[in-house]
Amino acid sequence: MKKTVFCVISVFLFLGIMGVAIAEQLPTICAVHPYTGRFAFAGIEGAAAMQDVVDMTNEAGGINGKKLQYFWADGEYKDDVGIAAFKRLYAQHKPQITFGQSTGMTKALGPEIKDRYKTLYSAYTFAEEAANPKVNPYLFLPGPTYVDQFGVILKYIAKEKPGANLAFFYSDTEFGREPIAAGREMAKKLGLKVVAEEISQVGGVDLATQILDMKAKKVEYCIFQGFVSNPIASVVKQSKDYGMNIKFMGTFWSTEQQLLNELGPLAGEYTGVSAYSFYYQNDLPEIKKIQAWTKNKFPKVQYRSQSYMAVYMSTLLFVESFKRADKMPGGFNKPENLVKAFQSIKNFDVGGLMPPVTINDNSIPVGRVYRGNPSTLKFDPISDWVRLE
Amino acid sequence: MRSGDFKENYISDEAIFPSLFARFWVAALLVFLLVFPFIANNHLLYIANMIGFAVIGAVGLNLLTGFTGQISLGHAAFIGVGAYTSAILVTRYGFSFWLSIPLAGMASALAGALIGIPSLRVKGLYLCIATLASQFIFGFIFVHWESMTKGITGIHIPPPAIGALHFDNERKFYWITLFFVLLGVGYARNLIRSKMGRAFMAVRDRDLAAEIMGINLFRYKLSAFAISSFYAGVTGALLVNFLKVVVPEQFSFMVCIEYLAMVIVGGLGSVIGSVFGAVFMTLVPEVLSVLSDIVKEAAPEMASLIVPFKQVVFGFLIVSFLIFEPRGLVEIWNRIKKFFLLWPFSY
Repeated sequence: MKKTVFCVISVFLFLGIMGVAIAEQLPTICAVHPYTGRFAFAGIEGAAAMQDVVDMTNEAGGINGKKLQYFWADGEYKDDVGIAAFKRLYAQHKPQITFGQSTGMTKALGPEIKDRYKTLYSAYTFAEEAANPKVNPYLFLPGPTYVDQFGVILKYIAKEKPGANLAFFYSDTEFGREPIAAGREMAKKLGLKVVAEEISQVGGVDLATQILDMKAKKVEYCIFQGFVSNPIASVVKQSKDYGMNIKFMGTFWSTEQQLLNELGPLAGEYTGVSAYSFYYQNDLPEIKKIQAWTKNKFPKVQYRSQSYMAVYMSTLLFVESFKRADKMPGGFNKPENLVKAFQSIKNFDVGGLMPPVTINDNSIPVGRVYRGNPSTLKFDPISDWVRLE
Repeated sequence: MRSGDFKENYISDEAIFPSLFARFWVAALLVFLLVFPFIANNHLLYIANMIGFAVIGAVGLNLLTGFTGQISLGHAAFIGVGAYTSAILVTRYGFSFWLSIPLAGMASALAGALIGIPSLRVKGLYLCIATLASQFIFGFIFVHWESMTKGITGIHIPPPAIGALHFDNERKFYWITLFFVLLGVGYARNLIRSKMGRAFMAVRDRDLAAEIMGINLFRYKLSAFAISSFYAGVTGALLVNFLKVVVPEQFSFMVCIEYLAMVIVGGLGSVIGSVFGAVFMTLVPEVLSVLSDIVKEAAPEMASLIVPFKQVVFGFLIVSFLIFEPRGLVEIWNRIKKFFLLWPFSY
């Protein structure tokens, strides 16, 4: 009798332990989104995008039959809060893949992710430091770096008006300054002249000094970096008031619907580079899928931003990496497998959200130039996809 | 039967821990702090380290603002000076972490003393603005002195080590943080009962009267700035060595506001109040985050309401404390102590 009881208990214990082991093996993504704070416009959309891809994946059978888990927390766009949230999520869920809220958080956590956590990691950033597989193979960008985006813009200008006078108009932040030094060098190589560099606060409104300086220096193209909408809309409007004829351009975060809404009839004055297609590009299969999903699950939502598209793209790559790593010896619980799986992605069809994706140095150096349309207040593509070496 | 807390000589009046009650709770706290790293996970240890840094910085600011009455809006800049000094000494000049900490404190103390010079001529809001200038001056230096600070890219710092022992995770770093917290709090507690501490309080209460009594205002005001900034420098050095990276955006103006909030919520003119304030301002948002995560998991469709609501609750808590206990958390602690001092016959 005692032996029987002992055997039954042993079997239950064994199954229990196995159950825990199996539970631990589920593919898990943990994300810190800037759901509140000054980057909340991106965080709210990003949290929704990640949840949507996870739900779509699970509805389609998960990761080779395994349910994909997703947990997130708010990082308030503060590095210390974000790092605390990351560590809390990691302690609770032991994810194989993580997602961070900012460049600062990525820089702070980078060494630990490489040496200790060993999770495939991406974030709300396009900083070069997060795309250097030789230094840190676990970090990747779901698009081109800010420097790459500057490259797309400068090549476009060099083709449209060789030898043009440029101004770099950037915020006095890490985000604003990131591509400026490389931009100067690229402009020089392309035969463009950087005649002015203007610095402003994010959301600044008193911009007469910078605008008059650009007028005095006969600037023909002004490239914004490090802003979302203001002061871009103010600069465009005020420069028109001063009778200037500058062409305004910008990188990913400002190439967004919100800016066109603020510019109104001046929407056609802004041209920007983005790595993703827009929600209203109805002819693309992945966009159609997102539209149908949104209409079905969130009927009140009328638009999904470029922040949504960026995180959606990251999550698609996470899912693909999970699927590929799952087939390797050791599966996706072996960190090196996830890195190998991710880096093996070549010509991966994402239904027009981007051109077929090939990972190059842990980033996707592809961009497209869009111009605002004042009659529709939407962005129209004015170039094909530009691939950067 | 005991009916009050009577002091019969100067030695007992000057004791750091004047009652059995205080000694008991300090001993209990020490035991808890020593046991904590063995029972806590990495997340809790991360929070503990952050609380430790906040305690050192808040105690420093309270020495200046609470005890000497000099308002400073440059605390984040002084934290930054210490952070960059340590990072540069360790990475560029090969100094050990252990030597870089006092040197970082000294660099900040020097910067603080310089910025404190206007305090001899201006007070109150005017001094606020004068110290605010340091925030912008040092902020500019952190970004633009690229040859030294590496500008926006920042500096990556290797973990501290003693021989083969590397303090490269929260658990190991906890011991460093605890050591400096005990040192910093202990020194401050001693300082305020010394001649210098009494001079600080005299300056705070009425600087003209203090000068007439023979207190050298120049010396003591600048000393308060230097000591406060030394604490800030040590805070910065510890913080960036813990995070292993230093970038200019870690020392924004909001950091000054957070530290001022710590000393006001905790209790101006109280060392233990600074500790309470630092714990409150670091721990409560984290607790609220955990609670909002739990509610969010239970009702994901309400996330857009629940997650931002934690900040409303935090703001409400701060305002409530200031309304119901304007003298800070330390006053609540004092009331608890008084209750137990005469318990069970309190009246």
